[in-house]
Amino acid sequence: MIWEVFRQKKAGDYHTHCGNVHAPDRDMALLFAEVQHGRRMPTNSLWVVPKDEIGEVDTEDVAFGGTTDKSYRWAMTYNFEAAAEEVAASESEQSEAEQQRRSVVEGDD
Amino acid sequence: MYTRTTGIKMQSIGGPIGKWLLTIVNGREMDIETVKERAGPREFSAKDDMPEEYRKAATRMIQFHANSEIMGAYLERPFIRQAPSLERKLAFSAKTQDELGHGQLLYRAAESLGVKTRDEMLDELANGEGKFLNCFHYPMESWVETPMIAFFVDGAAMRRQATLKNTSWEPYAHAMDKVCFEEGFHVKHGEAILHELMTGSKKEQEMTQEAFEKWWPRIIQFFGPTDKQSTHHGFASEVGLKQMSNDELRRAFLNSYVPKAEKYGLEIPDTPRITKNDDGTYEVNEDDLDWDEFFQIAKNEYEPGVGQIDGRKKAQEAVAWVRESMDKHEQTIYGGGESPQAAD
Repeated sequence: MIWEVFRQKKAGDYHTHCGNVHAPDRDMALLFAEVQHGRRMPTNSLWVVPKDEIGEVDTEDVAFGGTTDKSYRWAMTYNFEAAAEEVAASESEQSEAEQQRRSVVEGDD
Repeated sequence: MYTRTTGIKMQSIGGPIGKWLLTIVNGREMDIETVKERAGPREFSAKDDMPEEYRKAATRMIQFHANSEIMGAYLERPFIRQAPSLERKLAFSAKTQDELGHGQLLYRAAESLGVKTRDEMLDELANGEGKFLNCFHYPMESWVETPMIAFFVDGAAMRRQATLKNTSWEPYAHAMDKVCFEEGFHVKHGEAILHELMTGSKKEQEMTQEAFEKWWPRIIQFFGPTDKQSTHHGFASEVGLKQMSNDELRRAFLNSYVPKAEKYGLEIPDTPRITKNDDGTYEVNEDDLDWDEFFQIAKNEYEPGVGQIDGRKKAQEAVAWVRESMDKHEQTIYGGGESPQAAD
């Protein structure tokens, strides 16, 4: 049985996929993941998940975020007075996300 | 997991083999021209319905690589015991463990092509069908030989592995990320042993030079025959599996390791003849190398290598009970389904 392994580098970080192991059950999957993926790289925590339980949908299946004009849901659309600090921070995150999304959609790959 | 073409739930058929069967049934596998057009770094993964020719070529390459990691580890294992100091013992032990881990990572990358299972590949290695690097067919008997593997062979391997981070089979590239991360320590540890020996007693220096002369031609043959004689290069390179040719890699290795060898006081043997070009790069006279021995090794027929294959087979048999008990355990929990595979 194959178990996918996700590693969290330090507390508070996300668990990121880092590989997979053969193991007969969850306890042994954790043990093998520890030896194979937590021995050398900085590791705070590991998750193991049965491979067959992972579902996937990707850009060939769907257009994430839709294809119609969605400018109404971006902070950048609404400009009046200078925004409060935390609102401006949110806007700049959105602006960056939209740019990245656009470069993918427009085939920048 | 759903396939893009049919939406049939794959787990009902089971893993990569099931997916492969599904593509045969549907006849939707990518044609070879598309593969060649798209071939780029990390371009293909288990989600793509790759043609059989690609999957077989990639399996051959990754299985060879995985086998080499395992056989290299077995070659170095005795030196955990023979290491002259506690630090060297710890380092050799860590390195051997790393190499076995690399083997496991690579068998997973190979398995994901759906051609062979890990068990099949490990059995092929045990029964003498599995191919692996020429250097690991030679016996290693003395401590002075350790840097020949740990510095020069690992250095040569790392040169090649660094280019494979851009291979077109994504799981292989992912394995290379981790392998290269760990391999830096191996090569530098090997270099430290070489430095220690070459600044040691006159006798140590002479013994090291002798070991170097014995290993040097094998190390140069590490990169295989010239591109003209290489049977598999063309296709593997066209579909992006291989990133650099044998000749390019050999030249790149010589350019950085000939000066290093000389810096540590090693004399480059007269044969094979190596000439220095005007631009400072090195060229090897291929005809000076023993290609009969190389191809005998490539067929797993070279005597010391045969003994090393059998030695590993015995070790694999000795721990069969561990694998069997884990397989049995998995069967009790999850029932039939996938072919049982627990651990090496």
